[in-house]
Amino acid sequence: MNAIQIKNITKRYKDVTALDDVSFAFEFGKIYGFLGRNGAGKTTLINIIANRIFADQGEILIDGIPAKENMGVHEKIFCMSEADLYDRDLKVKDHFKWTNRFYTDFDLKKAFELSEKFNLDTNKRFKALSKGYQSIFKLIIALSLNVPYVIFDEPVLGLDANHRELFYSLLLKEFENNERTLIIATHLIEEVSNIIEEVVLIDKGKILVQETVEELLEKGYSVSGAAQEVDRYCAGRNVIGYDELGGLKVAYVLGERTVLPQESNLQITAMNLQKLFVKMTEKGVGEND
Amino acid sequence: MTELKSAVLYEYLTKVRAIGIFYLIQYSIVALIFAIVAICTEGKETGSNALEFSSVVFVSVIGVLGYKEDFKALLQNGYTRKYIFGATVCMFTLLAGTLALIDTIIGNSLHYFNDNYFTLYGGIYGYGNVFANWLWLTALYLMFCSLFYLAVLVINRVGKTVSLLIGVVVCSIILLVIALFQFVFPDELVSKTWEFMMKAMGFMGDGTTNLFFPVLSFLVIGVVFGIGSYAVIRRTELR
Repeated sequence: MNAIQIKNITKRYKDVTALDDVSFAFEFGKIYGFLGRNGAGKTTLINIIANRIFADQGEILIDGIPAKENMGVHEKIFCMSEADLYDRDLKVKDHFKWTNRFYTDFDLKKAFELSEKFNLDTNKRFKALSKGYQSIFKLIIALSLNVPYVIFDEPVLGLDANHRELFYSLLLKEFENNERTLIIATHLIEEVSNIIEEVVLIDKGKILVQETVEELLEKGYSVSGAAQEVDRYCAGRNVIGYDELGGLKVAYVLGERTVLPQESNLQITAMNLQKLFVKMTEKGVGEND
Repeated sequence: MTELKSAVLYEYLTKVRAIGIFYLIQYSIVALIFAIVAICTEGKETGSNALEFSSVVFVSVIGVLGYKEDFKALLQNGYTRKYIFGATVCMFTLLAGTLALIDTIIGNSLHYFNDNYFTLYGGIYGYGNVFANWLWLTALYLMFCSLFYLAVLVINRVGKTVSLLIGVVVCSIILLVIALFQFVFPDELVSKTWEFMMKAMGFMGDGTTNLFFPVLSFLVIGVVFGIGSYAVIRRTELR
């Protein structure tokens, strides 16, 4: 199977369970949004996939090959990490050259071209770069590597709006030119909602949802109107959260939309991905299902 | 193997600059000391001997950095712990060999031009065999690299408090063993142990010197530290 298969992964830190028997797959040829709140277990899982930490139980397979301590997956996956793991004293251009030696399919020319696009000074040492440019440097490496699976952990951390736009457009262009799996772990859900095809939502170490963006958005809707009327409508329905402003109330509901009676003053609108994410992780959709 | 070669080159070549700076600083200071002492003693004294000690300190620092910097960087680039360990051992060997070569050449040259300067090796075994000098220094530096590599891995694994406790326990054991040899163990055991240690350092019972034994002793100790390091690193997680 061409995929990153996550099988029954459990990771505990003393009495905290960071990942609890997590099983799912990132299939080849898709752009995934790997979403979750702080401490949900995103980075822990990414670190296990990247062989940086070990799972207490379970295994990761990349195209059927066990990922744990296996150089056989070296040319298959790259994880751009939020943490700074690079030698801080090396110049950017030297990092590019070393990455070119570490991997058989790193496009050095492209790395320098992207640096120009992002105005990254390749003669600077890593430690001399601002937080934003450190992220850009890591993004450029990830974008210039031709491996089937690329994971971006908080890719736009510290980037200004222009650079974020440039990154998203380059990412899409990259995907069009060279099909592979791109996994974006981020908090900035609205920004990536137009890019990602499928969402994996993790909360408290468990996978809440894995669905396409379309399917996910069809799962829920919001109902707004006078508080009493909204409450009446919501009775018996799977409501995952409310927002209130004065006498106006908005309810976020999971389930099929029903046609409102003509005399109703309620309004039904589609939920956006960020709102759905916030409401799901506030309450935990598993508790409702 | 290409990946291992790249990792070894990365670990080694990123240290070359540090080696250059280290020698530049060391010999600038040494030249100044030599000049001052030479003026004061009309060239009879050198002011410092056995500069290899500073290289021992330097390789110990490299032993620590071998984990701190390179482990993270290679893990980021998809390397397994087995490969990282292999690359680090190769880097230590190359580095120890390079430093030993520089120290052997410079130390013997200084001694050649000024009899009052003693190298670490020459002070113990004499100046008859430059190759043995280089090999001995290489093994010595390698042993210290391995020791500090193991130490930093253990500290990273168990944390500062437990590491301090381990340090206290190790120091206590050393003091206890010394006391036991001095006051408790029978003279015969003490003398046989002393004889064994002298042989391990190449000084044979018949008054001859075996230059191979000390190299072997350092390498055996280094391998023991290396095995310990591998046992720790294979379960080490990124922090």
